[in-house]
Amino acid sequence: MLCENCQQKEATLHLTQVVNGEVTKCHLCESCAISKGIDVHATPLDLGDMLKNLKEKLAQVQPKPSDAPPDSSAACPGCGATRAEILKKGRLGCHQCYDVFSAEILPVVISLQHNDQHAGKVPRRASAHLKTSVESARLRRELDKAIASENYEQAAALRDQIRALQMEAPSP
Amino acid sequence: MIPRANVLDTAEAAYQSAFGVTLSSRVRLARNLRGLPFPDRASAPVRAEVRRLVMEAARDVLPCQDALSSSTLLARQQLFESHLISRNLLAGSPETAVCRNLTSTQAVMVNEEDHVRIQALRPGLALQEAWADADALDDVLERHLDYAFSPVLGYLTSCPTNVGTGMRASVLMHLPGLVLMSEMEPIINGLNKIGLAVRGRWGEGTAAIGHMFQISNQLTLGVPEERIVADLTEIVKEVAEHERNARERLKKERRLQMADLTARAEGLLKAARLMTAREALERLSELRLGIALGLKRRIPMATVDRLLLEVQPAHLQAWAGRALDGAARDKVRADRLRAELGGRRTKRMAKRTTT
Repeated sequence: MLCENCQQKEATLHLTQVVNGEVTKCHLCESCAISKGIDVHATPLDLGDMLKNLKEKLAQVQPKPSDAPPDSSAACPGCGATRAEILKKGRLGCHQCYDVFSAEILPVVISLQHNDQHAGKVPRRASAHLKTSVESARLRRELDKAIASENYEQAAALRDQIRALQMEAPSP
Repeated sequence: MIPRANVLDTAEAAYQSAFGVTLSSRVRLARNLRGLPFPDRASAPVRAEVRRLVMEAARDVLPCQDALSSSTLLARQQLFESHLISRNLLAGSPETAVCRNLTSTQAVMVNEEDHVRIQALRPGLALQEAWADADALDDVLERHLDYAFSPVLGYLTSCPTNVGTGMRASVLMHLPGLVLMSEMEPIINGLNKIGLAVRGRWGEGTAAIGHMFQISNQLTLGVPEERIVADLTEIVKEVAEHERNARERLKKERRLQMADLTARAEGLLKAARLMTAREALERLSELRLGIALGLKRRIPMATVDRLLLEVQPAHLQAWAGRALDGAARDKVRADRLRAELGGRRTKRMAKRTTT
């Protein structure tokens, strides 16, 4: 294809312009393009670069979130397992990990189990105290639900039940 | 006087109605000891101490105790085929053990994924009873062991998929009707949607060889054990009803094909000179279906059920009394099936009996 401007040289630049919604195309040779003030050495657009730059700029503008991910090398005092190891393996190292890494583990438990409160057997050897705490934890959850759904009558009843339970069995 | 044949028929009918679709029920409870790392992160001395504590706690109720690391691979394989140990313990990791009662219906695995894995097995659909067994066993162990337990998350386990009750209740079902009527896939999808897992008989990741499926609960937190057991029982009854219905339709609509399938299965089992475990399980499953459909009357279903266990590699070698390589097993398996099912005896077999 010949250059639209000089009609002599081969067109090496193919431009597509959108002006007021109208698409126009023109084909020029390099020297005509330079004479029209077009930057022929412009690098093509790189979407990846653009996004990267955008992200960097945003990071400068936005304040850092206060709950930035904690140090992944922090270890459980019970077994020495680190946060990174546990997340990688999907297995906890000891029962203390459930407390130490509760911020990461609880959401995992909830997404797997669709629940966050045990409602079954309690070891019998410590049953009096533990049964009370499982039961009061269950009641407290019910209470939260009742308050959330503005069912205050039920909430009051639940609160009384929790009080009665705590009176009955003071912690050891 | 009742004729002997009728008594046998009644006994066979009772067996089939109890075990024809649901073969066995199992309840497993995962427990860990407070203050010690889970097996995966525990040092050898800690694991050894856990093993000592658990074996001692279980001694009175589970007197058959095997420290697995010192037992032979064949012995471990036999335990694995009988569902008494997991694939993990089959590998013979150090400081593991299994403790069983005399009838092998109750067992405790030590240092599996969790310190303690309690198991109770019952024939047929009997989850309630299996849970009662496991619960009682748990109570006995707990007198000597201090479990890791949280009032919020329940029994704390190595994997968060077991936390809470630590309970996996499962039922083993023979579902050839649903498979042959191409109705198994929607049922599996439906069961998955309501939080139940469906696996092949031989544990996770295995295809359902011989139309044997294991249905179990997946959720362990927030639901009491009794509810898990009651809900699963209801669902299993429903699936069994679908299976019986599918079998009825097979018998009505595809009687000739079913008779052909059964006859071919029987023919192979009675005539083959070499048979792999997989083929044996598949043909036995088809024969079992034929018996359930009333197309095959002379072979008791209990014989087929016994063979389903005995044709597996470790059981076969234990029966033969010696270690056998794959090719030798295929031969012994075929010999055994022919002998058990009244098939053709080879000249050598006949000679062996006469001498």
